[in-house]
Amino acid sequence: MKKHIKLIIAAAVAVSSVVSIPAFAKQTVKVGMSGNYVPFTFSSKDVLQGFEIDLWNEIALRSDYDVKFVLSSFSGLFGMLEAGHIDTISNQITITPARLEQYAFTTPYVVDGVQIVTKKDRDDINSVADLKGKKVAVNLGSNFEETLRANDPKQEIDIITYDTGFVQDVVIGRTDAFIMDRVGSAALIKKSGLPLKLAGKPFETIENAMPFLNKPEQLAIRDTVNAALLSMGNDGTLAKISIKWLGSDVTQ
Amino acid sequence: MQMPLDVQYILELLPILLKYLSVTMEMAILGFCFAIILAVILAIVRVFKLPVLHNFAGLFISFFRGTPLLVQLFLLYYGLPQVMPIFAGVDAFSAAIIGLSLHFSAYMAESIRAAIMGVNKSQMEACLSIGMTRLQAMRRIILPQAARVATPSLMNYFIDMIKSTSLAFTLGVAEIMAKAQMEASSSFKYFESFLAVALIYWAVIEIFSRLQHYLEIRMNRAY
Repeated sequence: MKKHIKLIIAAAVAVSSVVSIPAFAKQTVKVGMSGNYVPFTFSSKDVLQGFEIDLWNEIALRSDYDVKFVLSSFSGLFGMLEAGHIDTISNQITITPARLEQYAFTTPYVVDGVQIVTKKDRDDINSVADLKGKKVAVNLGSNFEETLRANDPKQEIDIITYDTGFVQDVVIGRTDAFIMDRVGSAALIKKSGLPLKLAGKPFETIENAMPFLNKPEQLAIRDTVNAALLSMGNDGTLAKISIKWLGSDVTQ
Repeated sequence: MQMPLDVQYILELLPILLKYLSVTMEMAILGFCFAIILAVILAIVRVFKLPVLHNFAGLFISFFRGTPLLVQLFLLYYGLPQVMPIFAGVDAFSAAIIGLSLHFSAYMAESIRAAIMGVNKSQMEACLSIGMTRLQAMRRIILPQAARVATPSLMNYFIDMIKSTSLAFTLGVAEIMAKAQMEASSSFKYFESFLAVALIYWAVIEIFSRLQHYLEIRMNRAY
């Protein structure tokens, strides 16, 4: 009889410990990043910082996850994801058809694309249609010239190809606008402090998100992250982080 | 215009990098300890030509000498977990140490084997004649003499290992090379950052070279 009681107590202790531990321990999400992509994830004076860091600190607050940043060279990140060393990658990963076959992505948190940039004080240019009859600069060798021409079947835009100096020409008003990728433009404006702005929404968009493995446990994390991203989008936190690091909102 | 060399930046960066030197040295020292144990075992197996084990040791040395360290690290850290999920539990730091010890043990086994072969055959015969087993002879008489001969080349491998730990960044270990690369990409001072990390490696290895010199003098005292 005594033995039975001991057994029951032991069983009770075992069960209670198994049940109670998950309630106390926060789940840790391991987020892989390169740590050398300014201004998204970089280290300066030994402090890891950037857009992605702020983003995940906020996700941690809203999801009750412990977030652990795992740094690796960019080329190693997908290998680490596949091998299960990290749960996801937060490094401006672009959603491509090939990656979509392999991974489950979160909702996009940065929308990149071909962007029109004009002087800060003008508001007559907001789309490709507004460029009709205007002088527009593109960088020699970039694919933006081709993209712009494809959007201009009647050849009404005066496209000027520059080797260098196109940014300065827009600033001094010699040229009306220039075309570049959106995130690059935002970073350039923020870093240079020049009186320029992103004019309108990007055309030919690409979307950046975080990939997860197609496994039930990983998908659960993905869904929680999605919920956090949605609430951050709704209350303007996402835009605030974007403005802090890039000077403008590139999150939608 | 910018100065050609920002000395101030290097002086600021050095203490930051030095904080991560312990990670580099831990990998090198732990890796070297495991490597030397493995190398002695491999060398003895090869010298005694133990059946089966001898062939296995030959294959092991052939593979780990015949493939680049970076390939071995990638196989271990990115490859193995895909076929054997249990390896996903091995963190980058441990994987780097395992990779370094396997790789360098293959080289070190060969120089230890050569050192053992270099000890005069009559020594082993003398041991056997007074009734020692071959393993006893190895431990008491042959290995201590071989150690003296092997020391310079083993120290060379240790120095090589310290430098090879810089590959651990590709697995995500935050050691000094990783830190230098990250600081460089945010400050755009590539020359200064990599110069700083090169100076640290150089200084550390210079210390160990001096140590090697001292060690050799000590071990040669009896001769």
